[in-house]
Amino acid sequence: MQLRSQLAALLVGLCACGPPSDAARRIEITDDLDRTVYVPEEIQRVASLAPSVTELVFAAGAGHKLVGVTNADDYPPAVERLPKFSALPIDFEAVLTLNPDLVLASDQINSPRDAATFAATGVPTFFLAVDGVEAMLQAIDRMAQLLGTQSTVADSLRASLRELRMKTEAVSERPTTLFLVSDETLYGFGRGSYIHELIAIAAGQSITAGFDSRAPVLSDEFVLVEKPEVIVGSFGPAYDPNRLVQLHPTWDIVPAVMDGRIYSVDGDLFLRPGPRLVSGAWQLARLLHPDVIP
Amino acid sequence: MIRTLTAIALLLVLIVFTVGLAASVGEDLGQAEVWRVLRYRLFLGHAPEPSITAERIVWQLRMPRAALAILVGGGLAIVGAAMQTLVRNPLAEPYILGISGGASAGASLFYLGFLPPILSKGLSMPVAAFLGGLAAISVVYFVAENGRRVSVARLLLAGVAMAALMGSITSFITYSSPEPDKLRAVLFWLLGSLHHATWSLVPLPAIVCAAGLVVLMALTRPLDAMLMGEEAAQSLGVSVEGTKRLLIVLAAVVTGTLVAVSGAIGFVGLIVPHAVRSAIGVGHRRLLPVCFVAGALFLLWADLAARALLPSENLPVGIITALCGVPFFLVLLRRTEYGFG
Repeated sequence: MQLRSQLAALLVGLCACGPPSDAARRIEITDDLDRTVYVPEEIQRVASLAPSVTELVFAAGAGHKLVGVTNADDYPPAVERLPKFSALPIDFEAVLTLNPDLVLASDQINSPRDAATFAATGVPTFFLAVDGVEAMLQAIDRMAQLLGTQSTVADSLRASLRELRMKTEAVSERPTTLFLVSDETLYGFGRGSYIHELIAIAAGQSITAGFDSRAPVLSDEFVLVEKPEVIVGSFGPAYDPNRLVQLHPTWDIVPAVMDGRIYSVDGDLFLRPGPRLVSGAWQLARLLHPDVIP
Repeated sequence: MIRTLTAIALLLVLIVFTVGLAASVGEDLGQAEVWRVLRYRLFLGHAPEPSITAERIVWQLRMPRAALAILVGGGLAIVGAAMQTLVRNPLAEPYILGISGGASAGASLFYLGFLPPILSKGLSMPVAAFLGGLAAISVVYFVAENGRRVSVARLLLAGVAMAALMGSITSFITYSSPEPDKLRAVLFWLLGSLHHATWSLVPLPAIVCAAGLVVLMALTRPLDAMLMGEEAAQSLGVSVEGTKRLLIVLAAVVTGTLVAVSGAIGFVGLIVPHAVRSAIGVGHRRLLPVCFVAGALFLLWADLAARALLPSENLPVGIITALCGVPFFLVLLRRTEYGFG
């Protein structure tokens, strides 16, 4: 039965270019990549192609509408009961057997090309592009609106951010900070990344904000010249800071190394453009200013 | 002979000049500060002391990197020249017998944790790479030899086949690795890079390259004879089979060591020998030493270009070698009456 409806959907997708005219009435919306998407008036079954999108959907109070998430998803704990599928590369068959009304994707990891494959089977794909804290908060509201749910999460996150900003705006000394994604090959964040915004909210100065490339691989000498006062890496909770010094022996004269200010954080709070960015900002602020924010 | 010595002297002067440049390119320290570091180090401390940051950057990052570029570039160029003679094919290069493929597979197997713990315990990434290269070339060798002689055609075909096999092993491992952090490190290594150079990494490649050059210089007469074909060389009294076996072992050791420290930097071992032949001829007594200094200079320049293109970032030099070398090489091919062998 399911197979037959999928075949029918496939045929519709092949024959009809433009707004699908099958069964349910559809409405026209525009996603974050300015793509026109035709979605059912009432969306009941949603598949998420990215962990950050899943978190945004839960924050919007629409977690119960998710029918499947990627095998990289691990938050919130409620995702454990959901069917999982491979996201890189996307296992189209696994997603389609979940029979979603709508597929949600993130421009950070999914390609618009994948949307074409879903479109051919009659499933619309909505892309989210979250490039900052404000965009993340708006994305929660947008999800609530799209999926017809109510949520106060965005408002309480806004309040939490206001509180943090009040505390950090009073801080006079702003340590220069290097945020690293990996310790051996020094991937950092360049121009346009929201990481610099998080560091600024936490009353620090990011030293890689001026890089033209979005994901620069930093040279050791760049770090020696910039002399960061704090190094934060998304190396996970069990990381031994000595490893970073062993991998980069010339850094023993860098202030962050001499003062023992190398911190490892949970990458999910920073690398996923989702609601937990706010917790990430709080954690950074505690690391940068333990005296002000205990 | 005078011409060769002039060429070597000229290239050496250029190398010294380029090393000076390599010490200065990167984060802006001020030229005076760079000289202060070099003077302080070269006069063993009998000079004004530089700032510690400049000392770290110039002496502990840039200089070992330049030294490694010289060794890797020079070593790959002489092995490339010898390989081209061994298989009498202008397309030959140091990696033709599957060494770089095997090294890449060995390094990724080890680094991404696909080896049983009992095996990986005593290894490091360079050792795993070296052993991988050795394993690949051993298979190639045993396919190509039939007890009495080593067939060049089989050597080439088995090399290409092993390179493909090792390539798919590497692709599969990198594809299925669950750890993005390690994957980044391995990909960097696969592209060929000198950014992790430290002084402690320099002695082993230096010894291996020096030994390789000495052995090859002792083999210049058999190598010259082999350019005319195996039978002709045999009739000139050259032990062709012995020479071939020695060359294969030499390629395995030198290339394996260099790939283990810097990853598979392509193209140096292919174009430098051809460029040098077109300038000074095919005789190995002149070709090999000039190849060494020319290869060293080429990789120094390529690494300089990589660092100048994206300052403050680490662009793997392996991406640049073809970019820098090909235009020059094509012009050279067009302009000279170049016959191989």
